[in-house]
Amino acid sequence: MKNKPELLAPAGDIERLKIALKYGADAVYIGGPLLNLRANAINFTLDEIKEAVSFAHSLNKKVYVTVNIILHNEELEEVESYLKKLEEVEVDAIIASDLSIIKIALEKTNLQVHLSTQSSTLNIEACKFWKNEGVSRIVLARECYKDDIKEIIDNVDIEIETFIHGAMCAGYSGRCVMSNFLTNRDANRGGCSQICRWDFNLLNENLESIKGDMPFTFCSKDLSLLKYIKDMIDMGITSFKIEGRMRSTYYIATVVSIYRKAIDEYFNKKDSYEYNKEYEKILARCANRDSVPQFFNGVNDSSCSYYNGRDEVSNQDFLAVVLDYDKKTHMAKIEQRNYFKKGDIACIFGPNHSIIEYKFDKIYDEDGSIIEVVNHPKQIVYINIEKSLDKDDMIRVKF
Amino acid sequence: MLIVIPNKVDDIELLADKVDGFILGIDKMSVNNNIYLKNLSYLNKIKDKQVFISLNKNFENSELEKLKSTLIELNKYNIKGVLFYDLAVLNIYKSLNLNYDLVLSQEHLSTSYTTVNYYNDLGVKYAYLSSDITLEEINEILKKSKTKLMVNLFGYLPMFVSKRHAVKNYLEYFNLKDSSKINYIEKEGKIYPIVDNDIAVQVYSNNILNGIKSYVNLDIDYVVLNGFNIEIDKFIQVVDMFKSVNKSNADENYSKINSMFKNVDEGFLNTKTIYKVKHEK
Repeated sequence: MKNKPELLAPAGDIERLKIALKYGADAVYIGGPLLNLRANAINFTLDEIKEAVSFAHSLNKKVYVTVNIILHNEELEEVESYLKKLEEVEVDAIIASDLSIIKIALEKTNLQVHLSTQSSTLNIEACKFWKNEGVSRIVLARECYKDDIKEIIDNVDIEIETFIHGAMCAGYSGRCVMSNFLTNRDANRGGCSQICRWDFNLLNENLESIKGDMPFTFCSKDLSLLKYIKDMIDMGITSFKIEGRMRSTYYIATVVSIYRKAIDEYFNKKDSYEYNKEYEKILARCANRDSVPQFFNGVNDSSCSYYNGRDEVSNQDFLAVVLDYDKKTHMAKIEQRNYFKKGDIACIFGPNHSIIEYKFDKIYDEDGSIIEVVNHPKQIVYINIEKSLDKDDMIRVKF
Repeated sequence: MLIVIPNKVDDIELLADKVDGFILGIDKMSVNNNIYLKNLSYLNKIKDKQVFISLNKNFENSELEKLKSTLIELNKYNIKGVLFYDLAVLNIYKSLNLNYDLVLSQEHLSTSYTTVNYYNDLGVKYAYLSSDITLEEINEILKKSKTKLMVNLFGYLPMFVSKRHAVKNYLEYFNLKDSSKINYIEKEGKIYPIVDNDIAVQVYSNNILNGIKSYVNLDIDYVVLNGFNIEIDKFIQVVDMFKSVNKSNADENYSKINSMFKNVDEGFLNTKTIYKVKHEK
């Protein structure tokens, strides 16, 4: 068996970074204050990056910073000083695709450079090119088939990272600027307005409408490669990447913990490994969007497309997060995320224990009074539970 | 130099005495072209013109042998250069001793002079600049680069390439029939051409770029006019206007082109894209 792959998680802020690492990620990728493709996310300040790196390194884990925009002339001036600051705070690598950024990083700093998926790298020759240019890792295009990934690993001596879970771009990354044309927001500089998820009216060459039961869209289902963890480990992929720097703490905790378990279970007990369908159910419920293996198995047909008329409703599965647990009194202090009430049955999960089924018999408010419902956002309440909980354990509905 | 991407093979002859060269595609190896040659010997028919061949798709491993043999075969013909997107083309090209040059043609990634210069240092002497940068940015790249530059100043602009067959998939999923060579997608009254061929889906801008006013102010090596989805009679008129334009008649020709087509604009030549809309830190 090959080396154990790195589980790489997204983090939109310091809270999510800590959750990702706590729940089992080996590394996280984050956006800094400049030059990253989530310009409209909150992103990390340099001080926060420093804190993130310090926290991750204390756990012997890593932090990668995305510097993955396609530069225009006007941004060139700030690149070198920004990269030097990232070097100073000891980030483990930057993720970049613009050759100008890569060149400056390699020539003017000691930063490791991971080639972003924005470069849509699909083949052995392109990987050889990038290896020769000095990048230490390549994040392959999401359009790569399984056989292509394997051939690349077998033929090019470089770290390979692939996406295992999350949303997909409809076009080749870097080759879609629909956002620029339809909303003037620059897709390759972090302003993508996700035109691929819009509905359109499809017309024939005579400009007559062609109507199905749902409108035309480029929207694709999400990616999930949980079923193929075994194959991916055996192929020798260096890093498994989860998409979603804008995702919630609950999403990150759930997805990271499931993949952590799946990787460890296969890696630790290869001969007796069995695919756990329960994990699939949890992942499906968490994202609330259909997911498929996308291009991994060589499939490129309508089964990867998502025709739902944008009818996506976020679920209310995430009930509360544990803030504290008193081992003497067995009281857990929890903070509400969605409505729950006395008698509801929930599941509590965390990085240090298996799932605990729990019925809300008695719920106490901050004054110690018993209450029936918890219906205020971020409401602090207390519950009694024998099994020991940890800070940042999460409580969700049972399904 | 004025070079064109013709809409049909028959148009090449009609345009030959008016332009300096052509950009052509090859079957199963090119995207965002209008002519995809199946037999390269056709290139012998084009005399005394600068011919550029676009090998600008994203290649899979299984296509690399074919790519290499095509690069070698192209050396038999009198072509000026090969446009590429995928770096496999550059990597294979470097291992061969070929007579023609390479043209960096990463349509939305060639946005700065450092990128253009980087490739120049790697031996790529031509670059086809991104269609979503401003005239000011183009001029700065011109000033700070040794590379021979191409810029598109007329036609529908490519804005999306995908491996997913979005149109075919939609038709199949909803059991619909249609055999259009070009489809359109419509949103809020704007109509965008979409082509779903063997290789990929390609979507083009709603508006036709009319950059003739910028042309007279640009001292650039190559200007590209794209004939995609443009009637040949009108396209010839446009070519003639670009050939004869000067500072004194630029406005007049600009208005003439605008009056010939329904949807015309100046693309991003005078419009900067934005990318940060909130959470300034």
